[in-house]
Amino acid sequence: MNTKLIRTPIAYGPEGQPTGAGAEHSRSVAPTVGDSARAGLGPIKISAKNIKVFYGEKQALHGVSLDIPDKAVTALIGPSGCGKSTFLRTLNRMNDTVPGARVEGRIEMDGEDINDKKVDPVLLRAQVGMVFQKPNPFPKSIFENVAYGPKIHGLASSKSELEDIVQSALKRAGLWDEVADRLHAPGTGLSGGQQQRLVIARAIAVEPEVILMDEPCSALDPIATAKIEELIDELRERYCIVIVTHSMAQAARVSQRTAFFHMGNIVETGDTEDIFTNPRERRTLDYITGRFG
Amino acid sequence: MTWIFLIFMAVFAVLSYLGGRRLAVRRSHGVKPHSRPGQHGLYAVIGVLAPAMAILILASVFSAPIERHLMAAGSPEVVEQLEPFRRQAFMADARRVGDGGQALQIWAAPYAELLPTEGRRAHNIHALLQWGGLTASVIAAILGGLFVFLRIRPDLRARNAVEAWVVGILFACATVAVLTTVGIIFSLVYDSLRFFGMVSPLEFLFGTQWSPQIAIRADQVGSSGAFGAVPLFAGTFLIMLIAMAVAAPVGLFSAIYLSEYASKTTRAVVKPLLEVLAGVPTVVYGFFAALTVGPALRVFFNTIGSWLVGGPLDGLGQYLMLVQNQMALVAGCVMGIMLIPFVSSLSDDIMNAVPQSLRDGSYAMGATKSETVKKVLLPAALPGIAGALLLAVSRAIGETMIVTMAAGLAAKLTLNPLETVTTVTVQIVTLLTGDQEFNSPKTLAAFGLGLTLFVVTLILNIVAMRIVATYREQYD
Repeated sequence: MNTKLIRTPIAYGPEGQPTGAGAEHSRSVAPTVGDSARAGLGPIKISAKNIKVFYGEKQALHGVSLDIPDKAVTALIGPSGCGKSTFLRTLNRMNDTVPGARVEGRIEMDGEDINDKKVDPVLLRAQVGMVFQKPNPFPKSIFENVAYGPKIHGLASSKSELEDIVQSALKRAGLWDEVADRLHAPGTGLSGGQQQRLVIARAIAVEPEVILMDEPCSALDPIATAKIEELIDELRERYCIVIVTHSMAQAARVSQRTAFFHMGNIVETGDTEDIFTNPRERRTLDYITGRFG
Repeated sequence: MTWIFLIFMAVFAVLSYLGGRRLAVRRSHGVKPHSRPGQHGLYAVIGVLAPAMAILILASVFSAPIERHLMAAGSPEVVEQLEPFRRQAFMADARRVGDGGQALQIWAAPYAELLPTEGRRAHNIHALLQWGGLTASVIAAILGGLFVFLRIRPDLRARNAVEAWVVGILFACATVAVLTTVGIIFSLVYDSLRFFGMVSPLEFLFGTQWSPQIAIRADQVGSSGAFGAVPLFAGTFLIMLIAMAVAAPVGLFSAIYLSEYASKTTRAVVKPLLEVLAGVPTVVYGFFAALTVGPALRVFFNTIGSWLVGGPLDGLGQYLMLVQNQMALVAGCVMGIMLIPFVSSLSDDIMNAVPQSLRDGSYAMGATKSETVKKVLLPAALPGIAGALLLAVSRAIGETMIVTMAAGLAAKLTLNPLETVTTVTVQIVTLLTGDQEFNSPKTLAAFGLGLTLFVVTLILNIVAMRIVATYREQYD
């Protein structure tokens, strides 16, 4: 078994590049997929097998299996209450924080079971960043928001190093130019779209490998949405991104792989292009053409 | 008689309700009426009861002065010649005799003979006025009924009229509390002004000597009275500080536990228990302080003290009384315990108002629970918690019973928690209990203290409410 999730956090260079042995390790493992349609995508990063989730008596997921490639955007679509957000939250064990929630099944990240007892969920979540539906910046300054993760994980050994991390995260989130002159203004004072990019910067400041996004644009106007989508497209080059979205158009624009959820099951998985142009399942066709949902 | 009247009015009200309903139906003639029959019924009840009640209230307010006036007008000259308060006592005894009872006092010759006749007259006047009031009330009810009878038509907006009355009644109830508060303020200010006429406000606010005893006779010595309230403020402040030192951390930490860590079942048990603690009467806390905590702390500190002094016994074989039962520490600690549920309950509500999304955001960054509490939750909830603590401070300052029983009476200017101190509230209690002379500065000082206390707690409450309110808006 790979012990990466139990190790101490990786050190990061000034440009946010992972350095040291742990970082190299994180790029090496993972089985490759022989699927020719997926030629441009990275190897499988996360592999979920037969996931069942219960909230008390209620079962939200009925045995879902999904392979998620690295360096690509995977979109989870489906009508409300179909379990796509629940599935997303199993990937960083956020369901642990929900009282009465229970997860069954195996989720492998780089070949390692993240539900294993030896895995510290707190460290796992540092590796799997998450962006929520409503922008949720902390009631602190912009700088402190981004510095939050690096500080609690002790990623920076000096003040200037911390400043470098914050700057590079803000740059990668495409927010630097807008906030460079007011880093110490409150993060809650930004516009909705800026707040969402701030939250993304906060997530990537701890240099995760996976970023989960739960309907990141549903509270934003079209222009802010376009900016976030552009950003997601740029981030794809470095991270494994999983995005839950209600907007079929958004899934088509930003994702390479799509999984269609319905009633707690995955109906169909495939390359986004195939799903939207040539779905195999009747229910998928009905959903993407707007006949239900 | 009053009962018969009340039953009559109730029956009348029910009848007018039924009648109003019937009438509304009967007069609609196929037209769709503006209001439903039941609303016409209520309209009729109001039309009947409102004038009757108004007359009744007027009668009860004015009957006593009218009665007095009538009695005075017809009384014999000897009675007229009595001193006012003797005359009042005579009239009251006459009433008693007239109603068939016994006089409270023994009256001398001319008055003793007058008692029965005057008594009969008083009895008659009283009965006449009572009958008059009730009759007028019944007539008003009947007139009201007639008015309603004429008014009920399909196009009568009975529904709106009833609504207006409902609003009026609710408004009247709301006003009672406000008017009472205004009344309290006026009485406080009035008596305080009398006090500050005798003692200069500067001496009161900045003087360091408090000994409110005043010589009653000119030949008494040593009791000239000093009204410097600073020792009282200092005592209040000291006890408040001790109380907050207990209540703030314990209350806050228990709130954090309840809102962030406790399972649903634990929370369901512990929170109501804490709230029960908040309902314990302060007198009971007072017992606890005076009879349990006080002696325990006295023994504890005296034991330590006697070690330091070098022997447990003084010459008489007693413990050295370095410390007494009554001290600031006892009152402060027990008051702090009293405030714990108050602080924790308010802080718990405030922390629950912090959106779950902030916690999720922090957990998703790989923060542990305590990191999330320390770095996200507390900063986010800080203004609200500050408000809660200020409210607790204002309660600590105004708290009376515990300090009366456990803090002592000596007005010492000290910050030593092991000494006996006294507070503003304790002094108000001691100044106003027992027989008091109402125009001596000693008694009036209570109002000066009360006004000061009122102003301080009012300001604290306003500031606290402001803070809590702005905090609430932030997340709505």
